[in-house]
Amino acid sequence: MNLLWQGIVNGVLLGGLYALMALGLALVWGVLNIVNLAHGALIMLGGYVCYYLFTGAHIDPFVALPITAAVLFVVGYAIQRRLLNLVIRAPMFNTLLITFGLDVVLTYAAQIAFSADFRTVNPSYAGANFSLLGATVPVVRLLAFVIALALTFGLWLFLTRTPLGRAIRATSQNLVAARLYGVEPRRIYALTFGIGAALAGAAGALYGVVSQLNPYIGTSLTAKSFVIAIIGGLSNPLGVIVGGLVLGLVESMTSLYIGATYTNVASFGILVLVLIVRPTGLLGRTA
Amino acid sequence: MRARVVVTLCVVVAVLLAGVPWIASPATIEFGINMLLLAALAQSWNIIGGYTGYPSFGNSVFYGLGSYGTAVAMLSWQLPFGVGLVVGAVIAVVFALLLGRAVLRLRGHYFAICTLGVAEVMTAIVSNLEITGRNQGLVLPLLKGNVLFYELSLALVVVATLVVWWIARSRFGFGLVAIRENEEAAASMGVDTTRYKIFAFAISAAIGAVAGGIHAYWITFIDPVSAFDIGLNVKMIIMAVFGGPGSILGPVVGAFVLSAISEVLSSEISTVAGLFFGIVIVVAVVFMPRGIADLLRRFHTYRWRYFAANVRATRV
Repeated sequence: MNLLWQGIVNGVLLGGLYALMALGLALVWGVLNIVNLAHGALIMLGGYVCYYLFTGAHIDPFVALPITAAVLFVVGYAIQRRLLNLVIRAPMFNTLLITFGLDVVLTYAAQIAFSADFRTVNPSYAGANFSLLGATVPVVRLLAFVIALALTFGLWLFLTRTPLGRAIRATSQNLVAARLYGVEPRRIYALTFGIGAALAGAAGALYGVVSQLNPYIGTSLTAKSFVIAIIGGLSNPLGVIVGGLVLGLVESMTSLYIGATYTNVASFGILVLVLIVRPTGLLGRTA
Repeated sequence: MRARVVVTLCVVVAVLLAGVPWIASPATIEFGINMLLLAALAQSWNIIGGYTGYPSFGNSVFYGLGSYGTAVAMLSWQLPFGVGLVVGAVIAVVFALLLGRAVLRLRGHYFAICTLGVAEVMTAIVSNLEITGRNQGLVLPLLKGNVLFYELSLALVVVATLVVWWIARSRFGFGLVAIRENEEAAASMGVDTTRYKIFAFAISAAIGAVAGGIHAYWITFIDPVSAFDIGLNVKMIIMAVFGGPGSILGPVVGAFVLSAISEVLSSEISTVAGLFFGIVIVVAVVFMPRGIADLLRRFHTYRWRYFAANVRATRV
């Protein structure tokens, strides 16, 4: 029983971070119709930015998080404005391939710039934890969880309550009509991708605190983000939270009861089943 | 007339390639085997991805099933290599028929990601099975015969290309192209879309599985991570798209050109080879999104405006 409770706590805390990872991917996918295979590489990049702010300038990782997000926003804005806007109307093969190319470029550039060593952002309070009804709760994981939820909720408010957010949603629903109402798609696309990258950066900063960084983590993080976006659907950021929690709990329960080597069978098995049974996601309407 | 020139040229190139092992160094032959297997895989992807328009990320599963099918047949059942290849191909085809029924109903990104998920699941399942050697993988008997493997790989490329050539001019192939262009319209014209797609998937699986079997016996060692490597599937896609998806020779040419580029890069500037490979992909997608085949077809009318026209067609 105690083990089960601890597993649930671990799964939920992990799930919050997973949700934040998938949030940017789902946003870009929903609005731009680009499945960004470089999303995991952007998360990795965010982790390194936070790592160097922490070790180089001694900035607390949770203070460095907004700076990291801002840096990644600029990177993402530039990528979309200068590169992806050139191929946005191409068939999906091509956008898939170009983001894969970006993933390769970012991974190898990171390997050259940061070396292949494992890095972790290790503040003085990294080991702190408290007990919740018998389960151990690491403080940094709880903080990461809270920040992830806050950012997801913030994105939902932004998309539904602000003029810019409405312009983004309008662009994703009907480009022609949005243009008639004065929306400039080039700028909206670049902003959207920038926000997606900023969310990836924030997720990367948190990932660096709770886990280890190296240049090659990108691919598996992209794959996990996919799974979550599919489970949650693309229409609503809040669906991504559900997707993240489902994946976190499934992984935690599988490694507890079946064995750690089966976590991929479980999480990707769910992905395949959800796709076959309900292609628009568990909560989504249409993508 | 032009078609006859191209066919003659292909036959000459194939004969020349068949003669390579008698004059080349062992390292060149090894490079040749890798290149030819990639060409066969790109061609197998071309059938489901290029002609039918279903961007499969599950073709590495067929490759992996071929590797493991061949290895298990040879090790556990003591069958000869040739029979092992057939066993691997049959397993992959059966898997494709079963899987295709479920996943070929999905379209676009959803199909791509679902097949990606299947590939991940298969990797994890194989690394937990006793008969496949779990995580450690399997060791096959050593056969010193690089020339044999080279000629086998070349034969596979030729067969795969002949299959695609047949597809391109058959009623079946027209049906596949119709599905790619507009599936509803194809269905309303009387194309049995489900059966066509599953059949295309199965042919693709057979070719991929044989490539996997040849590679397994050549390398003499397989493990789940490398046999079901999704990176290999991405390579197939890149090579097919770089050469020209939905064309007969494009994927083979793409595989040859990109293999050569990456070989030269990794020997000349090994540290930045990966970086450069990524840049090649990005630049190719922006400036020649329909591949070398289309570039060759249209360059003499458009000249250098060809590249600008491509960008103009897809930018916002």
